[in-house]
Amino acid sequence: MIKVSGVTKKYPARLAVDNISFEVGRGEIVGFLGPNGAGKTTTMRMLTGYLPMNSGRIEVAGFDISKDPQEVRRRIGYLPESCPLYPEMRVDEYLKFRASLKGVKTSARRSKVNEAKELCGLTEVGKRIIGQLSKGYRQRVGLADSLVHDPDLLVLDEPTVGLDPFQIRQVRELITHLAERHTVLLSTHILQEVEAICERILIINEGKIVASDTEENLHRQLQACSIIEMEVQAEKEAAVARISALEGLDVRNAGELADGWLWLEIEADSASMRVELFNLAVAEGWSLRELSEQQHSLEDTFVELTRKKGTH
Amino acid sequence: MGVFISLLKKELRTCFYSPIAYVVMFFFWALTGGNFIWLLSQLAHGESLTIATQLMFSGPLLTFAIPVIVPLITMRLFAEERKLGTLEALLTTSVKVPELVLAKFFGAWIFYIVLWLPAIVYVFFQHQLAPEDTLGFPDGGAMAAGALGALLVGALYIAVGLFMSTLTSNQIVAAISGFAVLFGSFLGTMYMAYTAQESAVRILGNYYSSFAHMMDFARGIVDSRIVVMYVTHTAWFLFAAVRIVESKRV
Repeated sequence: MIKVSGVTKKYPARLAVDNISFEVGRGEIVGFLGPNGAGKTTTMRMLTGYLPMNSGRIEVAGFDISKDPQEVRRRIGYLPESCPLYPEMRVDEYLKFRASLKGVKTSARRSKVNEAKELCGLTEVGKRIIGQLSKGYRQRVGLADSLVHDPDLLVLDEPTVGLDPFQIRQVRELITHLAERHTVLLSTHILQEVEAICERILIINEGKIVASDTEENLHRQLQACSIIEMEVQAEKEAAVARISALEGLDVRNAGELADGWLWLEIEADSASMRVELFNLAVAEGWSLRELSEQQHSLEDTFVELTRKKGTH
Repeated sequence: MGVFISLLKKELRTCFYSPIAYVVMFFFWALTGGNFIWLLSQLAHGESLTIATQLMFSGPLLTFAIPVIVPLITMRLFAEERKLGTLEALLTTSVKVPELVLAKFFGAWIFYIVLWLPAIVYVFFQHQLAPEDTLGFPDGGAMAAGALGALLVGALYIAVGLFMSTLTSNQIVAAISGFAVLFGSFLGTMYMAYTAQESAVRILGNYYSSFAHMMDFARGIVDSRIVVMYVTHTAWFLFAAVRIVESKRV
């Protein structure tokens, strides 16, 4: 559905997107994840033809964005980052206006608008003025707008930003529902969001794609080394030196807890090395009250991948 | 074409939803009324009816008001779209930039024409008031020329104001810069046309002074050079606006 190859975008002061390539297949829900300022919005703007790229090639549904921007736009439903709407218009009025801009025929306009409203739970508020709606409803109006012309691909830039937890859940459910009929590319910097919605994750950092895989695979990549947490009663320098001396173990972090215990974060080649740590504590006569393997969350994966930027 | 009509309708709707439109209407219509009273007083002091009629489209109250009110109409056009982020939403649909610029131009121009409607009503009153056998009255040609002058001057001023609005996302900046350019050039060219010593400067002033042009039009003088000047300059500013919107995306 989307084929991005070697795309670069330079702003006068900085390189926003640096030679990225990725693909999104038909029917996929892909999460575009990255810290703020990583280049998510820039990439989406190039994808929708709003910003020109400096080099590279973007294809959407087989059309080249530089050659057939109109064909590409017709196939994309785009929700920009801040969900821009006209506050003075009524919901129906706005959706009809947008449908007409997107080339929906006059005869089909009413039914398309009603369909989009129904999907997004807006049937009740059609006559309301957009400026008087809550943020959650406005977000839904933006979503309804993005799908009113029945596009193949939905590009949603931070669709849940600024919503309360209840609204976030509603919008997520809505997106999951939409994904049954459309290919979805959504950007976010909220990790739970991709965990909750997406089948595949693209992680972008400082303008580069640092990972592109399913959530499980990303975890597995990182599972090669595991983190062990340990709490002992021992003198800090001595303990750090003794543990680091063991093969395959490396102290990443150490600190005194308020109650005088020593807390250690240890990088180990495998989680089974906890046994060696236990034996060491016994041999040294340290009291031990905690020895556990840290579970990798997507957050760790994310932090890990975006920290390794130098190696890519 | 369908897209253009949708955009134009939206422009008109937004224009008439905004309180600014009504403030502008109030002041311009008050001035039009004031202009009519002044015109009647001229008649009462023995001014000939044919001269007085001309003042409906070129009364100084109105000619001076145009460069002040046009920036208030145009400041919103692109600055607001940029501020709201809706420009991005518009330009990622099938909308083409020239279509958008023209829709905004015609939307503002139609509102400007609405501002002039009371003047036409007053002209009708004058017509009713005048005795049947007044020499040279009513002079339909001069009326039409005066209206044409108001339309042309409005078109150029709106194009300039619209261009200023493409440069910023701040409506106040758009309004003040539009006002500075329009009112500054209005006074500057008027000074050049009427009081400059150098004859070359006076000639240049006469080509560009919209105050002088509106006087001429209201007298029924339609100088094709001036008409061409307004049409080409309007087109040039609209073209420049298209280029700015196409290139200035972020």
